[in-house]
Amino acid sequence: MSKAVVDLPPKGGFSFDLCRRNDMLAKKGVNPPSFRKTGTTIVGLIFQDGVILGADTRATEGPIVCDKNCEKIHYMAPNIYCCGAGTAADTEAVTDMVSSQLQLHRYHTGRESRVVTALTLLKRHLFSYQGHVQAALVLGGVDVTGPHLHTIYPHGSTDTLPYATMGSGSLAAMAVFESKYKEGLTRDEGIQLVAEAICSGIFNDLGSGSNVDICVITKGHKDYLRNHLLPNPRTYISEKGYPFPKKIEVLLTKITPLKEKVEIIEAGDAMEE
Amino acid sequence: MEPNLNEPHSMGTTIIGVTYNGGVVLGADSRTSTGMYIANRASDKITQLTDNVYICRSGSAADSQIVSDYVRYFLHQHTVQLGQPATVKVAANLVRLISYNNKNMLQTGLIVGGWDKYEGGKIYGIPLGGTLIEQPFAIGGSGSSYLYGFFDQAWREGMTKDEAEQLVVKAVSLAIARDGASGGVVRTVIINSEGVTRNFYPGDTLPLWHEELPPQNSLLDILSAPSPEPMST
Amino acid sequence: MTKQQANWSPYDNNGGSCVAIAGRDYCVVAADTRMSTGYSILTRDYSKISKLADKAVLASSGFQADIKALQKHLAARHLIYQHQHNKQMSCPAMAQLLSNTLYYKRFFPYYAFNVLGGLDNEGKGCVFTYDAVGSYERVGYSAQGSGSTLIMPFLDNQLKSPSPLLLPAQDAVTPLSELEAVDLVKTVFVSATERDIYTGDKVEIVILNAEGERREFMDLRKD
Repeated sequence: MSKAVVDLPPKGGFSFDLCRRNDMLAKKGVNPPSFRKTGTTIVGLIFQDGVILGADTRATEGPIVCDKNCEKIHYMAPNIYCCGAGTAADTEAVTDMVSSQLQLHRYHTGRESRVVTALTLLKRHLFSYQGHVQAALVLGGVDVTGPHLHTIYPHGSTDTLPYATMGSGSLAAMAVFESKYKEGLTRDEGIQLVAEAICSGIFNDLGSGSNVDICVITKGHKDYLRNHLLPNPRTYISEKGYPFPKKIEVLLTKITPLKEKVEIIEAGDAMEE
Repeated sequence: MEPNLNEPHSMGTTIIGVTYNGGVVLGADSRTSTGMYIANRASDKITQLTDNVYICRSGSAADSQIVSDYVRYFLHQHTVQLGQPATVKVAANLVRLISYNNKNMLQTGLIVGGWDKYEGGKIYGIPLGGTLIEQPFAIGGSGSSYLYGFFDQAWREGMTKDEAEQLVVKAVSLAIARDGASGGVVRTVIINSEGVTRNFYPGDTLPLWHEELPPQNSLLDILSAPSPEPMST
Repeated sequence: MTKQQANWSPYDNNGGSCVAIAGRDYCVVAADTRMSTGYSILTRDYSKISKLADKAVLASSGFQADIKALQKHLAARHLIYQHQHNKQMSCPAMAQLLSNTLYYKRFFPYYAFNVLGGLDNEGKGCVFTYDAVGSYERVGYSAQGSGSTLIMPFLDNQLKSPSPLLLPAQDAVTPLSELEAVDLVKTVFVSATERDIYTGDKVEIVILNAEGERREFMDLRKD
C-alpha cells in the first residue's frame, strides 16, 4: 500500500517541503527570520443603518514598531471591508485573494457581493491551512440582506455578532463594548464608541498604538475615515535640530548617457503576407 | 494569567438531545472560548441542517462548523434529488461518514436530532472517532460529565414536550453551574411533526444551584451595599 | 494548560530604557517611567532611578523585583559605609561596589541592566555602564534597557567618544553643555518611544552638578 505521493505534480499553494529542515535547524539554534506581526486592536459593530469597522495603525516586529501608520482595514468589495490581525503578510494575502475572487464572482453574476460569500471563501481557505495562515479577521459589510458582522479565527471558525473585537488588544476593546454597546446606535454614537474601543487598545495594549482608522459602511455608501483620530503626537522636538554631516568624499563623477548605448535603426520593410 | 488568543477556538460545551413522545428537544449553552478568554458569550451551537434536522456541535469550532457545512450542502442535494425531506438517519449517517473518514483531522463530537415521517423523533450521537449511536437521549461536550448521573435518574420514556424541554433547560443550567467551560444562555430547539420551535433562556433567568450567587449588574453593588454588623465579642 | 508550570521562570522583563551622559562639570541620568510585562502596562509612573549617594545616581531596567532587591542591598551597604567612614561613598567607589554585588550572583544573576551616573572626586561627570553580571566600564555616555539598541547608535553619532586605545588616555566626558545634554536626552527618549513598545509614558531626568541635584519630568507617548 505504498502511496505514490512523491510522483504527484505540484498543485500550487504553500510548500511545506522545508519544514522538517527548519525544525532541525531550530533545534541546533538557527532560528528563522521573524515575521511582521500586527499586534493589533481591530473592532467592528452594527449600528442602526450599517456597520462600523475600526483599527489601530501600529505594526510590530517583536518589541520594535516597524510601521507607525499602517492600514489594517482591507478592501474586500465596494460594500464589504475586512480588518486583519496576526501576521501582516497572511492578512494581506488572504484578503487580497478573496477580494479578487469576489470581483470575478461579480463579473460572473452581475450582482453585488454578499458578506456571507466573503465569509465562506475566507473560512474555507483558513480551514484548509489548519491555522498555519495566521489571519484573525473582523469582516463587515452591508448587502442586499442587510448589515453583517463576523469574526474569523485562524483555524477557520467563524462567529456572527452585533459587536466584535480581535487581536492582542481585543480584551481592552471588548471591555469598552461590553459596558457601553446597545442596539440601534446612531452613526455618530457608533463612530465614537468604535474610536473609544480602539483607543482603549492603543493605550492599554503595547502591541497596539498610533492612530485610529475607521470605516463606516451603510446601504450603497461607505466612508473610509483614514486617521480619524491622531491621539499620539510627538511630545518634544529639539529647537536646534540635529545635523548629520556628510563625510563621504566624491572622488569621481562620470555620466554615461544612455542614448549612445541604444542603436536606432530606421524602419525596415513592412510586414507582408 | 495571560489569555492565550492563539489557541484554537474551541467550544468547551454542554450539548443535549432528548426524545419525547412526538419529537425531540435539543439544548446547548452559548459559550465559545479560546483558552481562558470567552470569544463569544452568545454563540449558537444548535445549527440547522435541513428544515427538520438540527445538529448540536462541540469540540473545535472550526472543525464542527466545516462538518455541518458539508452535511448541510449534501443534504440540500439529497433533498432535491429525492424530492422529499431527508430523514434524520440520512443526516446522521452523513455526519458519521465525514467524522469517520477524517478522524485524524477532526476534533469534534456532534449530536444530530430531528423528526421525519418514517421514524418520528430521533437522536443520534456521533462522538469523537465517528461512531454512530441511536439513543433515546444523548449528552455531549465537557459539561456532559456532570450530567450522566442526573440523566440516569431524571430521564423517563414518553415524556411530554414541556417535560422534555424543562429537563433539557435544567440539565444545561446544572452543567453551566459546575463546568467552567460552559456558560452564557441556554438555547433549545424543539422538533416535531408540527415543525420547529426555537427557545432562548437568558443566563439571569436560570435556576440558582448550590452556592451560586444571584446575578449582579456590578460587583461594586455588593461593596456599596450596607456592610453587615461587625462581629461583637 | 498544565504546561505553564513546566515553563515557569524566576525572571520577567519589565522593560524600560535608561540613559546617562557625563559632561565636564555635570552628569545627566534619565529613564522612562513605564513598567510593563508582555503586552500589558503594569504602571505608567514607576521611577527606575534611585539615588544611592549624594553624588551617585543609579538607573536600572530589567526585572523590577531584582532591581528593587539590588537597590535595597546597595542602600544597606552604603549605610554601613557611612557608619564606618563617616562620609558619602564616591561615585567610582559605588561603581566598584555595584560590580562586586552583581558578580556575587554570577550563577543566579540579578536581571538588571544598570547605568550609574554621578560626579567623581574632582567634580567631573562620570558614567559607568554594566551588564547583568558585573562587567563594567567608565564611559562618557551610555544607554541600557529595551530601547538601548535604538538610542546607543544615535548617541554614538552625536557624541563620538575618544577611543579607549588612545595614548595618552583622553577624558571620557562629552563636550556638550548641560542644557544641550538635557535636550539630547529628551530627543533620544522621544525617538525611542516612537519605535520601542516598552518605552513611554514619561521620562524622569536627574541632573547632578556643583550646585547639587535637579529633577525634571517630560511627557512621552502613552500608546
